[in-house]
Amino acid sequence: MRIVPISVAILAALAATAGLAAVSGPKAKQISHERHEGMESIGKAFKILHREFDSPAPNAPTVQASADQVASLAAKSSSWFAKGSGPEVGKTGAKPEIWQNWPDFVAKNRAFQQSARAFKAIAAKGDMTAAKASYADLAGTCKACHEKYRMEMHH
Amino acid sequence: MAGLIAFSWWSAEYHHTDWHIWSGCAVLTLLIFRLLWGFVGGSTARFASFVRGPRAIAGYLRGNWEGIGHNPLGALSVLALLGALAVQVGLGLIAEDEDGIVTGPLYRLVKVDTSDWARELHEYWFYVILALIALHLAAILYYHLRGRRLMSGMISGRGAVNPDVEPMRPAKWWVAFICIAIAIAITRWVIAGAPPFSA
Repeated sequence: MRIVPISVAILAALAATAGLAAVSGPKAKQISHERHEGMESIGKAFKILHREFDSPAPNAPTVQASADQVASLAAKSSSWFAKGSGPEVGKTGAKPEIWQNWPDFVAKNRAFQQSARAFKAIAAKGDMTAAKASYADLAGTCKACHEKYRMEMHH
Repeated sequence: MAGLIAFSWWSAEYHHTDWHIWSGCAVLTLLIFRLLWGFVGGSTARFASFVRGPRAIAGYLRGNWEGIGHNPLGALSVLALLGALAVQVGLGLIAEDEDGIVTGPLYRLVKVDTSDWARELHEYWFYVILALIALHLAAILYYHLRGRRLMSGMISGRGAVNPDVEPMRPAKWWVAFICIAIAIAITRWVIAGAPPFSA
């Protein structure tokens, strides 16, 4: 019986340090690429959401579909930042500061994931006014991370 | 206008996107004013007085131009600069940032892909404006070295003129006031999303 809590503890420790286990070569490139595509998909969902919330009658199914999309990508996002998948791979928007300030970055990533889950739940209920406020919070979590940890990819 | 262009570049470069949008709207107001002024303003400001065809440009280059205000070649410069700025403002009005969080006031008139494309072109088009500005400054410098002071005449309204040439006829002050009022009104309508088009 004592094996279970010990293995759980080991798994938890491994999970916490997963980001610090370095990758290189094709694996690093693959993660960098997945990160880029994932972020672009989140951006695409945001563009749809922004238009919906600015219209006089936001379409609930559209909002819900985009909210689901963001939530599922947010859940995956913690696997997009393995050490070694940053600028050393090539062109990316991920600044080296991410891995230099890892606990702070992880905190911001968790905040994003939490906010995305909350937004999805509120959107599912159908109240578009509440959803709009939740969306604004979510956008705030994007900005909080990007301000510190994202750089321009071109110029 | 030059100050606004510089501020627009700076605010975009340092990610003050909200200031950038205000600055762009200010450029829009000035552009509308200039367009109106080109029809009802002082004689040298009116497009009809300086926009000439290719023959006049050739004639000017041969030395056969007697006039005040923009010479036929300078006219091309005015049109190019105003046109390029109009393109830049137009693109900005329908653009959105890559996150879909900050948007131009008319972004809902177009599809998502169009707004993205507009943003990218808006970023590159700045280099077209920069090239035109460089050309413009080079031309002014060239004339300055040749002994013609262009800037003071444009600002004060008094330039050294051949006495045979008809002097500038300034426009009434209230005409300028009306043009500014119209320009501001149109800009405010644009900022509101150009109702009813963005409804």
